[in-house]
Amino acid sequence: MQPASTVSSPAAAVKPTEGRGADAERPAPRHGSLAELFHFHQLIQMLVVRELKVRYKRSILGLLWTMLNPLMLMIVYTVVFTTIMPSTQKNFAIFLLAGLLPWIYFSTALMQGITSVLTNQDLIRKVRVPQAVFPLSVVMSNLVNFSLSLVPLFILMAVVGQPFTPALLFLPVGTLVLTVFASGVTLLLASFTVFFRDVRHLTEIALQVLFYLSPVLYSFDQVKAHNAWWFRAFEIGLTVNPLSWMVPLIRDPVYYGHVPGALVLGVASAIALASLTVGYRTFVKLEPRHIHHF
Amino acid sequence: MRTGQIRITDLGIAYRLYREKVTTLKEAVTNRFRHLRSSEQFWALRHISLDIQPGEAIALVGHNGSGKSTLLKTIAGVLQPTEGTVEASGRVSPMIELGAGFDSELTGRDNIFLNGALLGFTRKQMEGRFDRIVAFSELGDFIDMPVKNYSSGMQARLGFAVAQDVEPDLLIIDEVLAVGDERFQKKCTARIGDFRTAGVTFVYVSHSLAAARELCPRAAVLHHGRLQFDGAIDTAWERYRELESGPTPGPSVSAGESEESARRSAGTL
Repeated sequence: MQPASTVSSPAAAVKPTEGRGADAERPAPRHGSLAELFHFHQLIQMLVVRELKVRYKRSILGLLWTMLNPLMLMIVYTVVFTTIMPSTQKNFAIFLLAGLLPWIYFSTALMQGITSVLTNQDLIRKVRVPQAVFPLSVVMSNLVNFSLSLVPLFILMAVVGQPFTPALLFLPVGTLVLTVFASGVTLLLASFTVFFRDVRHLTEIALQVLFYLSPVLYSFDQVKAHNAWWFRAFEIGLTVNPLSWMVPLIRDPVYYGHVPGALVLGVASAIALASLTVGYRTFVKLEPRHIHHF
Repeated sequence: MRTGQIRITDLGIAYRLYREKVTTLKEAVTNRFRHLRSSEQFWALRHISLDIQPGEAIALVGHNGSGKSTLLKTIAGVLQPTEGTVEASGRVSPMIELGAGFDSELTGRDNIFLNGALLGFTRKQMEGRFDRIVAFSELGDFIDMPVKNYSSGMQARLGFAVAQDVEPDLLIIDEVLAVGDERFQKKCTARIGDFRTAGVTFVYVSHSLAAARELCPRAAVLHHGRLQFDGAIDTAWERYRELESGPTPGPSVSAGESEESARRSAGTL
């Protein structure tokens, strides 16, 4: 072997006391604690940036696609529901989109997030990292997409003459509640998917059913207006579907121009917090066993 | 526990082996979740006790599947012990595989920050290290190219460059130095030597006596998940060869020779 000095650069020489200031002496947060997750928030941030960078790499329009996609969707819906099959609801396109965008946010985040632990298994096998960062970063990158898709929605609102009200200022709160809810569900099912790959397919089907059982294409009041018993049964289904409580968080301020009522906000927040608590706790509890099931 | 100390007490790591691998819910339901209760356990490691002092260098020796990598992963915190305890205090730099956290679509620059974040560093902390890391990796302008365009040697360089700059208290290396050209290997060996001088605890897996002896005076021999020997590296290597030659070692035939003669006879047949 050659003498070490010929190849080791002096700048890189190890001095045990050097640079061991604030960053080296941080005690590692206890595993599974929220502090640990916070400790890794920059990793989540970077994973989100990675996700967006990779997705729009070598595309000329880049991040603009995130806005163009919903815009195209909106144009199609607007044309369909104003000319081809006009709806009695005023500005039906806005009504629909204000419900559809949060739905797309939730369902895309969930479907992508559910497999995120599995797709990062190579990494999990080699580096000690809180695995929750993977589902959470998927939710966060979809949050970015959702926020960006509000821009074309606002443009459309201006075009069709939908009034802009101060209630729109509630949107960040509504989005936060929706994000907390989505994070909890995604964490829970991402962990289950490691043990049973079926969960992904089950979720896909469940989402399709839940879509029609959520007030996206119609409003809660439309269901209430009917008297037949099956509509009552339908109403019960709607009420127990957590997503029915999430949709108004976005639609009320955008379409109806008012802040969601105390009941809706209260129930939605309670569901969201319960979802995150159960989801995160279960995830952390099952996390050490994931590696044996990859 | 002092920083850099590793204390392993009666460690056991069990993998579950399923005779029929149950991966679908239907199978699980029709078997009434029997697989969760009665799967065969395979003990990759059992009854391992080791005490490694700060600044010590130890080589892990053993055949393929003897549990060396499992032990490294447990020390790194990737695997949780099934029984017993593993205490490792201080910052662990896991070089179980260099560049494990790399995303091939991202540039070397982005990957340095991503890898740093995986090891628990903030962006700001990595910015302070960035120039040093690039200099060490000798990648030059390639740092702004996607990692997928790197050769495997270049990827290993970048991986080592990041891992060597995280001021570890414990350095865990799984034969990663086999990649990269001779000059870079020497640079890595020298760097590890620096760490050793600085009192970093070092756990190393190698199948090469020459490489291990250069860095580690102590070695632990693993054989089918059991700790068979712990002590001076030359004695350890003899023990390892003895174990490899079979359950009951033949009279005075060392494993190296028997392997070689076996290969020779296989070649002539």
